[in-house]
Amino acid sequence: MEIYVLVKQVPDPEAIVKVKSDAELEIENKYFTNFFDEIAIEAGLKLKEKFGGKVTVLTVDNRKVDALRRGISMGVDEAFQITDPGLEGSDLFGIARALAVFFKAKPFDLILAGRQAMDDDAGIVGPAVAEILRIPHINSIIGLEVDDEKKEAKVVREVENGKEILTCPLPALFTCQKGLATPRIPLVMNVMKAMKAQIKKMDLPALGLSGSDVGARAARVKVRKYFPPPKRPPVKMMKEDFPENVKTLVRLLREEAKVI
Amino acid sequence: MVYEIWVFAEQQDGKVRKITFELLSAGMEFSKKTARPLSAILLGKGLEEAVKSLTPFADKIYLLDDPVFNPYTSDAYLTAIIALVKEHQPSILLGGATSTGKDLFPRLAMALQAGYAPDCTGLTTGEDGSLVAIRPLYGGKVFSEVVFSNASPQLATVRSNTFIVTGTPDKSAQVITVTPQVDPSSLKKKVLGVEKAAGAKLDITEAERVVAAGRGIKGAENFKILEELADALNASVGTTRAVVDAGWREVKDQIGKSGKNISAKLYMAFGISGAIHHVLGIGTCKTVVAVDTDPNALIFNYADYGIVGDLFQIIPALTEELKKALKNA
Repeated sequence: MEIYVLVKQVPDPEAIVKVKSDAELEIENKYFTNFFDEIAIEAGLKLKEKFGGKVTVLTVDNRKVDALRRGISMGVDEAFQITDPGLEGSDLFGIARALAVFFKAKPFDLILAGRQAMDDDAGIVGPAVAEILRIPHINSIIGLEVDDEKKEAKVVREVENGKEILTCPLPALFTCQKGLATPRIPLVMNVMKAMKAQIKKMDLPALGLSGSDVGARAARVKVRKYFPPPKRPPVKMMKEDFPENVKTLVRLLREEAKVI
Repeated sequence: MVYEIWVFAEQQDGKVRKITFELLSAGMEFSKKTARPLSAILLGKGLEEAVKSLTPFADKIYLLDDPVFNPYTSDAYLTAIIALVKEHQPSILLGGATSTGKDLFPRLAMALQAGYAPDCTGLTTGEDGSLVAIRPLYGGKVFSEVVFSNASPQLATVRSNTFIVTGTPDKSAQVITVTPQVDPSSLKKKVLGVEKAAGAKLDITEAERVVAAGRGIKGAENFKILEELADALNASVGTTRAVVDAGWREVKDQIGKSGKNISAKLYMAFGISGAIHHVLGIGTCKTVVAVDTDPNALIFNYADYGIVGDLFQIIPALTEELKKALKNA
């Protein structure tokens, strides 16, 4: 099987992110491979172990390639970085265009991605790539079985308070949710190897894209302003002994917060 | 051309979901401000009850009642909605940030070359009909104000409980029946079945009240006392990553960075220390209550009301107290 995994390096959940100005954020230099993307890499590797073939990781980023190296250390075969100054200011549909065009002349069976990236939490790129490529996509999957001969997949998708079981023909794009697979911890030796591994770079001309497809000019949405989250007033502690504290709490929920 | 404001009406088994009424209630304000009609687009099969419930909330209902739309697949919905948007050119199209909305809207936006703001926690419009969306980023560590280019329509999905359903809807929608041009043989995805969790509890992303416990509850079997509290409050039960990783609860109940963001009106956390992973998922909850044995637990920094105490003592007492209070309501 020819499997591709879309990955992104994002700030670690512990990283401090603050508003520097209306137009700029201050992000602590503490990054990791998007949690859901690692699940996607693992799911890809499992399929390769079963059916043979190749797993390739792919990112659009002008600076950070550690998500690709993470993929290599976990055992993927190849890594591509799409990078070009013209990508600056792209919205996520621009990123999707850059990714989709990569697949133009490539045969593939399956594209996997995380259900969303933990920076913008948008969940746009996966389905948007599928739309450009005119292939089926299924979001937030927690189960995957592939019939390589029939080129068909059976997946379990998470929906509100339940699961949906679907089939669809390959090629297709699936976004991966926690529960689908547990990412392997790479061996130290493989991490060392990945540090030195070659990352193949592609720029916009190599992809046949121009500045009108991506970048700020093509963007349909933009952030006008960043602002800090609204602050909660200081916590009110119920100081009485049990069970008076519970009674006070219920009274406050009713009379002050008016939520019951 | 009259540039209408559209809301994608989400229904399940012919019943319109609450998020749709929330969006239509916000849509009424936008409609007043911009003097543009408010329309619901409704797809599915067997929609009489759905149409009836939507009628007071919209000026028009575009109705696509056909077996091809039941159950939801993005293939069928995309084809039909793209055709409808191209014909009527709405200026705004809103949907819920639900599993369906998150599946449908990014693809719809790409196909229409439209701007799209996902998973919003606030939405306003200017008099010219331009949308301004509020979105949390980095799990809610910062917020952003998102504006759209002149491309039309402007798409957004909104979290449950962001808007309040108006109690006095006074419209009387005209129903426009649309014959869908969707060839069933062109559909690639097939839904084989749906498994619903036992009980009729709302998903934690939709529920107005959520109660949750962390590792402090010490075992899967102890969630029983929390379930009883949830029943008394008509709340849904959530939990933390540690509990899910321990196998005590399912992933679908997980609140936080690698789980779900919730916007409940009332959130109660029991035996949850308040790791950043967790509190990022509750940033947009209205009232937060925390109960923990450790007076220095971080969760108290994110709460409105707190009790230092043992959840095994507090939860049953709270359940009884709430039962009494709600009975007298």
